[in-house]
Amino acid sequence: MDSSSVKGLVDPAIFDQLQRKIDEDAVVQEGLREIVDRLEKQSKSTKAALSKTHAIPSKSLASVIQASEASIRQQLPALSKLVQVASQHPYYRWNGIWSRQIQDLVFDIVYCGWLGGFANQPGQSEGRKEIGKLLTIDEVADIMQGKMPANLKDRDEFHLTIEEYLHALLSLIEELSRLARNSVTLGDYERPQQISRFIKDLHSAFLLLNLKNDALRKRSDGIKYKMKEVEDVVYDLTLRNLLPKSP
Amino acid sequence: MSNKRSRDEAGMDSTSDGPFQSMFETFRVELDEHHARRERVIKASRDVTAASKKIIFSLQRTRELDQPISPPIKKTIDPHLDNIKAQYNGICSDLQGLNAYRYQSNISGGHQEFMEALSFQYYLENQALIPYETAVSSLNSLVEGANKITLTVDDYILGIFDMVGELMRFCITAMASTGKLPARSKPRRSTSKNTLQHSDRMDVDDGAGDDVGDNEQEGNVLSDLRQLRVALEALDVPRKSWLENQVRKKMGVMQTCVEKVEKSLYGLVVRGAERPTGWMPDINEAERLENRG
Repeated sequence: MDSSSVKGLVDPAIFDQLQRKIDEDAVVQEGLREIVDRLEKQSKSTKAALSKTHAIPSKSLASVIQASEASIRQQLPALSKLVQVASQHPYYRWNGIWSRQIQDLVFDIVYCGWLGGFANQPGQSEGRKEIGKLLTIDEVADIMQGKMPANLKDRDEFHLTIEEYLHALLSLIEELSRLARNSVTLGDYERPQQISRFIKDLHSAFLLLNLKNDALRKRSDGIKYKMKEVEDVVYDLTLRNLLPKSP
Repeated sequence: MSNKRSRDEAGMDSTSDGPFQSMFETFRVELDEHHARRERVIKASRDVTAASKKIIFSLQRTRELDQPISPPIKKTIDPHLDNIKAQYNGICSDLQGLNAYRYQSNISGGHQEFMEALSFQYYLENQALIPYETAVSSLNSLVEGANKITLTVDDYILGIFDMVGELMRFCITAMASTGKLPARSKPRRSTSKNTLQHSDRMDVDDGAGDDVGDNEQEGNVLSDLRQLRVALEALDVPRKSWLENQVRKKMGVMQTCVEKVEKSLYGLVVRGAERPTGWMPDINEAERLENRG
């Protein structure tokens, strides 16, 4: 008598049901990954547009900023699709699938904003055209999607999380420290100072946070090195008397 | 340095504290709450894990299958179950609404270990695998109030993987002390007093069950283990998913556990004839025996 004729431990219905649930999850994950892939593909053209900022003097940046802003806006339909599909599930069930791409998008937005982009936001009385501004988490969420909330805590909805925003700021610091050197190469001796002040301000803001041993903590530990890199650039300029005279 | 002096003209709404302080102060409050919740969940998960291990340890003293856990063993289990109950109630409010899945990776370990204990006890009492719904309702029967704790299919499945190891230990000990594989202690029909719906279904077709006690191949733990192994191996998990990653880690251990019982049984059959009743080669000896011969 073989064991297959015996009714035993495993009720096949149990595993049929488990498999069904696993399959349902797999379908959801696949659908989300597809959208996220699309978002990632489109973000590459934004990255290409933004990379020109390292090679073009700040005076002639306007067209680059315009192109970058347009490119970012082209990512928004894919983002809307993501929000629409992801909203059918608890937010934190699948957020690992898109978190990195959202961080990248937020970085594109804050970097573009720092360079003077996204000057006129709907709902804002006056534009913030200035170079060196930091778009707040709410401003970024507005740009990403008209109604997207930032930092939710009372409803289970799609939103921009604090962590994603902070990761994007850390990327911004890294990008700006690179921009500081490249500005000098392009003959712009003023921007490194501006970047240095900005990173110092962000650094002191990050010091307010009690970060635990996580990815944010590890990355934010790196700010001081970036800060020093930029300070070294400013030092080099000062030493050689290349800084524009303070008024 | 000149950049210090020109700081106030930086085109930002600088205050003496720096321009971003107020936004970051909001972040700090939120992140502090988040970290506090996460730490509570992590601690509860650890405590649930420890208590579940103690329950499993007590359950391993069981010798009979398909019967309620004996009162002395139950007495040692109950305090740990109370502890688990207290832990789950302590963090239940941290796992609601938006946060239902937020701390999933932090609570997963505790859930899995508790599933291991729960499914092991269920098996000892019913000689059957606990269905997912029963596991969910057992977990939530510990939670007071209207809130529920989410138990994912993933955690349930991973708990079952680990339970195979407990069945292996149970088999080996039973074989060592009784000289044979644990099997159903009585014909299936007499279990109808059992209140669990699941066992009702299993009682319906019982033609093969009558001569169970005589046939070692039937209704014993090894045949259950093999069925479970086949069913777990057959699960088709999504590629590149967290579950796939975890299942890959546990699959080999699970298979080894089944094989250890098979090797032990082999040792029992090969050497049993020349050994006094009650003597039992340990696992390593069974392996040596196999390698040699």
